[in-house]
Amino acid sequence: MMNGVLTRNGREWSLLAACIVAIIVFSVASPYFATSGNAATLLRNSVELLLVGLGMTLLLAMGGIDVSVGIVMGLAAIGVGRALGADLPVGVTALAGPVIGAGLGLVTAAVVVLGRVPAIVGTLGLLGVYRTAIFVLLGGQWLSGLPTGLTDVLAATFLGIPVAAFLIALAYLAVWLALRRTPYGLHLLAIGNSEEKARLSGIPVVRVRFATFIVSGALTGLAATFYVANYRNVEMTIGTTLALDAIAAVVLGGTSILGGKCSLLGTVLGVLLLRILQNGLLLVGVPSLWQPVLTGGLLIGVLMLEVAAGRLSFPQTGWVRK
Amino acid sequence: MTAPFLAARGIAKRFGALTALSGVDLDINAGEVLALLGDNGAGKSTFIKILAGAHAQSSGELLVEGAPVSFASPKDAASSGIATIFQELALSENLSIAENVFLGRELKRSVLGIPFLKRGEMRKRVDALLTELDAHISDPEAPVGSLSGGQRQAVAICRALNLNAKLVIMDEPTAALAVAETRKVLSLTRRLAERGCAVVLISHNISDVFEVADRMVVFRRGRKVAERLRADTNPEEIVSLITGAHPDVRALERTN
Repeated sequence: MMNGVLTRNGREWSLLAACIVAIIVFSVASPYFATSGNAATLLRNSVELLLVGLGMTLLLAMGGIDVSVGIVMGLAAIGVGRALGADLPVGVTALAGPVIGAGLGLVTAAVVVLGRVPAIVGTLGLLGVYRTAIFVLLGGQWLSGLPTGLTDVLAATFLGIPVAAFLIALAYLAVWLALRRTPYGLHLLAIGNSEEKARLSGIPVVRVRFATFIVSGALTGLAATFYVANYRNVEMTIGTTLALDAIAAVVLGGTSILGGKCSLLGTVLGVLLLRILQNGLLLVGVPSLWQPVLTGGLLIGVLMLEVAAGRLSFPQTGWVRK
Repeated sequence: MTAPFLAARGIAKRFGALTALSGVDLDINAGEVLALLGDNGAGKSTFIKILAGAHAQSSGELLVEGAPVSFASPKDAASSGIATIFQELALSENLSIAENVFLGRELKRSVLGIPFLKRGEMRKRVDALLTELDAHISDPEAPVGSLSGGQRQAVAICRALNLNAKLVIMDEPTAALAVAETRKVLSLTRRLAERGCAVVLISHNISDVFEVADRMVVFRRGRKVAERLRADTNPEEIVSLITGAHPDVRALERTN
């Protein structure tokens, strides 16, 4: 049985096929695409999006959303960067990301769940607040030239596979188990289907929603740890397109934007397809300025196709769901 | 005669100046299908909402198995063994039958403090319930969204049974169903009573009521105006009781 954690409509196969076609086309179009150096770059650039996308998958499946993930990653990255600069032990530095992220997830949950503000508006408000917080914390300057302590640990390999890959696989495995093997998964999908019915069924709706915002925050914070390890700097504009990228990748992957259905494998493939397209277009000479156009277009296009196919329908008056 | 599962004594409900229900005495017995009849606004819905714990009565008392109870919420009613199947079934269409039957009270085992679902055992229990009800649903893994209206009623009934309900209240269970489906749901209702459950059925359909109910109670303008055993009445009498054309009702309404 799959009950929505893996979808039945073959979305994953279509995405896999799309990835393969894109790889073939770009390999022909650019001599730089099919090189081991570019493959490594592509995978490294997918790390944060894989983690943030995992959290976003849970949020969308629950009928929630978070448009502040980019800025939350930025705030957590500042924490990680400061810890790294202060020469704290590597373990503490690495954990600073998920801990700060979980704390900010708690704030989001307080606003959205306790404050009963629609998630898209609540997180948009937080986005504004945090944008200034980043500016204040960074004092208008980049955090740069950070030491390599964290980088060395996460880039270390075990059986030829980077530690980072193991950690990401572990995160996906843990979320998959929670979704498929524990009551949490059923409760999350029931809330995504209808919060009212979930409440009538005796599901602790507030607790499940809190937990999900906190988990998504922690995953976004973990992405910040990887970000700092990868780039060893934190710039003012960090995470500007992350929410768009994550929502687009997750929706591409077959998770319902209205909740009640999700696919983890779809999210992985959605992230890879998005990054392949962005990387490939860059290599064939399309300026990176056009990347958000591609991402936004894909997001809107997929939703319009689903509506046209009758698989999705949005209320046309008002924007608050159900 | 054993004591009724539930006894209502002098139940009244006022909403401000409006009296929705007054002086209702009613016994509900295990193993019996009791039909509540009456026009819109007669007070049936208010009455079952009091039984279900969704409203508190303004006066009067409820006794469950002889002991007085007071329900602050549907959860309280549920813990006294009362389950209500509302017309809009509270089922999650995206989850399977088995998942819906257990939703909110899953069977689980703790491994390292993590509650893991006992999917196999839940499936077996649901399979047994479906077979017992003769619900003709072969796959408890099918999503509820793929089921017909009658099959969804069967899932909701399974859910009530699985909560160990001793009184199942069904609000217009056949209102939106095709003929064959209606038959099926009515036979499920019968089977529920044979299993020892008390069943309260609200319906506007007199022929449905005569097919399954052992006893009928007619509400009119917030009062219980008649109570009849099926054997002692006929559809014409019941209709005249509902509309108020019956001499008994006219006499009653003149005295008030």
